[in-house]
Amino acid sequence: MRAKGSKGYFKWADRTFDLREVFDKPEALAGIRVIELCTLILGPATTDFLGEFGAEVIKVELPGTGDTMRYVPPDGWFWRNLCFGFAPQNHGKYHVAIDVHHPEGKELFRRLVAKADVMVENVRPGTMDRWELGYRQLSQVNPRLIYLAATGFGQWGPFSVGRASYDLLAQAASGLAGITGFAGRSPMKSGIFVGDYFGALLNCIAIMAALHFRERSGQGQFIEFSQAEGLMRAMDWTWIYHGLTGKERERSGNRDVAISPSDIFRCKDGLVAIAAGRDTEFAGLCKAMGQERLIRDKRFASLKARLVEEHNRALNEIIAIWAASRTVKEVDALGQRHGFAAAAVQNAKDHHGDAHFRARGAVWQYEDSVYGEVVEYGPAPKLSKTPGRIKWLSRPVGFHNGYVFRKLLGLTSSQIQALEEQKVIGRWADRVGAKPPEDWKPGTGQVF
Amino acid sequence: MVNQNDELIGEASILGAEWTQWIRAQTEPARASDRPEALDDLVVLDVSSGSFAGPFCSSILAEWGAEVVRIEPPGGDITRQFSPFGMEHQGTGLAYLAEGRNKLHITCRLETAEGRRLFRRLAAKVDIAIESYAPGQMDGWGIGYRQLCRANPRLIYAAISTYGQFGPNAPRSVLKPDYDVADQALSGLVYMTGEPAQDPRRPQPHETPTKSGNWMGWYAGGAWAVFGILAALQHRHRTGEGQLVDVSPPEALMRFTEDAVLYYDKAGTIRKRVGVVDTSVSPYYFVRCKDGHQMIAGFSDVNFTGLTNIMERPELRQDPRFTTFVKRTQNRLALHAEVEQWSQQYTSQEILAKVQDYMQSKRGPGTVATGRVNSPAETFQEGHWWERGSLTKVEDPIYGVLSMQGQPWKATRTPPRMKWACRLVGHDNAYVYMKYLGLSASKLSEYKKRGTI
Repeated sequence: MRAKGSKGYFKWADRTFDLREVFDKPEALAGIRVIELCTLILGPATTDFLGEFGAEVIKVELPGTGDTMRYVPPDGWFWRNLCFGFAPQNHGKYHVAIDVHHPEGKELFRRLVAKADVMVENVRPGTMDRWELGYRQLSQVNPRLIYLAATGFGQWGPFSVGRASYDLLAQAASGLAGITGFAGRSPMKSGIFVGDYFGALLNCIAIMAALHFRERSGQGQFIEFSQAEGLMRAMDWTWIYHGLTGKERERSGNRDVAISPSDIFRCKDGLVAIAAGRDTEFAGLCKAMGQERLIRDKRFASLKARLVEEHNRALNEIIAIWAASRTVKEVDALGQRHGFAAAAVQNAKDHHGDAHFRARGAVWQYEDSVYGEVVEYGPAPKLSKTPGRIKWLSRPVGFHNGYVFRKLLGLTSSQIQALEEQKVIGRWADRVGAKPPEDWKPGTGQVF
Repeated sequence: MVNQNDELIGEASILGAEWTQWIRAQTEPARASDRPEALDDLVVLDVSSGSFAGPFCSSILAEWGAEVVRIEPPGGDITRQFSPFGMEHQGTGLAYLAEGRNKLHITCRLETAEGRRLFRRLAAKVDIAIESYAPGQMDGWGIGYRQLCRANPRLIYAAISTYGQFGPNAPRSVLKPDYDVADQALSGLVYMTGEPAQDPRRPQPHETPTKSGNWMGWYAGGAWAVFGILAALQHRHRTGEGQLVDVSPPEALMRFTEDAVLYYDKAGTIRKRVGVVDTSVSPYYFVRCKDGHQMIAGFSDVNFTGLTNIMERPELRQDPRFTTFVKRTQNRLALHAEVEQWSQQYTSQEILAKVQDYMQSKRGPGTVATGRVNSPAETFQEGHWWERGSLTKVEDPIYGVLSMQGQPWKATRTPPRMKWACRLVGHDNAYVYMKYLGLSASKLSEYKKRGTI
């Protein structure tokens, strides 16, 4: 579709979404309390996303060391005792530490859940039930509770027992790695924990659908999600194709076999993605390349013709030769001029300096009360009336014990101290990843 | 790394079989239709075009029970033609067949004033609208959020576009259509995925930044749109007001790229592609085996002990390159070579058996995760998915029997479900236009004659 945009639209949109007003607007999930008993990424990212849009998230960790992800930094590198493997899925949460193996710890946990709307866990199927903290027990305490259990393979079925799972195993088992990468080479691992993050997002969707139902019925429920199944859900035409033809979906590198042209090309100074599925877009690309004769070439006359495998390959070779003599910036500008998709392959440095992403809060700079100035990826969808926001970075183990136990459970300082002495609750171990930065002044950033 | 939490994540599983049976009985997909639906009080218009972010978004809403009316131009949307090698099944491309689920399909030509009038009347009565036109296009037609919210202040309107509705690049990119490959490129995912060059002076064609094989940008965009819509619904419960949800698929996927920008901000390091290994955990990768590739992980101290016991290479734990979690990460390529030397002697099945035998017999500590790197056809053959309904055969009244992806969730009270696979272009015109606008058959045929529907 071609349009220059109606009069004043972009001015209106800039004003409507103005980042400077984010904290003056309400939050979509205000009043929703979420309890998290999770480690690694799939579970924590779920509650992180809900927290960005206003849910109050209480993250329950084991006293001392806490979440395993506190010790999984990139290249083994920590910053100010903080692990960057942990931070991106643990913003704005209240961190408490309870030993849920301890009978009194279980009781504290139950009391927290009694006051919550949502509970998220990612331990092995059946474990919570055995601990007497499963849905069957907690729903008695709180019938309105929405309980989400996230695993690799699900709560039941042949793969649900005796198999540990990680994001990468979900990539392998789902077939996603099998369709990623180049023909004749190894199946390719995603550069990110895609099963975790995408899975976390699908978790949030289920939780919010259940919240909507609860609004109407007053009833909570149990939801389970399988990370591998989440990736399988997102594999395009793979299953229908196999079911109808019996054929394997092969890896095809960056070239799409269902949209033509659609590939990533090497320019003089970098890589650029180009796609033009509609005939009008393809004609635009041909004009941009100065090769209008291709529009009339029978091999490329329609999308259906361009998708014939040898035509698709031939077309890509033509584009590759053309792109090699151009800069990324030139191709990008031609995309807007002639109406086809053209976009640079960007990295973190590009994101960091990108005025567009910064204006939209996709790249979010803020001053954290414990760690100082940081730049992170901000909330993904932009909501005009209830925008998402980042309030603070992740926190050391048990950082908010005092506040949460006092505010929600009415524990006094001496009760809290006694529970600490019995090791029912606790704070951070003296360990990089668990503890505050060295220059932290006790009390800073804490509520109590 | 000795971590108490290893017990949490990797507890050897003597599990209450009772739980498994109970929860299975509660969530058996075959019984889903006996239960209510979470979103069945919502009506959705999906007028997205040329992108699968929109259809994926409305598919999810439809799976959870919303009545979704998919609006296409009279000839059908171009997404019906996005199909491997141009293959069609009864006139529709295979990708579209996967995302037509549970939706009603009508046509409406928005380029005409009459079509826009129909759309405006429909939008006045619904809860949610989804579109993926160039930013400003719908507004220019007088049917954007600014105009529709006047007649319907409760409307939640999701707009999906590569560069979004605001920000400096929005007005200067309106002629660029939204494609998954561009979304993935901009997100940073492509830069971080793929094989590094063995010889940087002579990189092989496959040694290049690599996109996710599926349309991951579109899925991320579509799913974040659902998130935005459902969050906005919570706000509407309290205030009665709808809002505009702006989703950029590149940003949607960018939110999944972990600490990339934070790491650059603080360490000055740009995260690059590392092939089948990982930047922050090791062993955690794919290795070659006799009959393909195998995923294997055992990165904490206790789990590395488990893995090296299974490999019968306990001395690796004393190797100065591998003594700590951080050293194993830093020397990940050397360790990968050691593990692969072992794994290549066995088939995928043999490796799985060795790991399961170790864990079940409790011969030593540690949890090792392993599994075959499946081709799609291999995944397709595994009973687990069919039992659970994540792969399912749909008997569609129009398209016949189709094997396709089902739902990745189970829910005790309002399970999501599959009702039908897809509909022909305009198949539900008579039903929808009668139900919502009271248009009779003769009225509809006039619209048809004029090419509006």
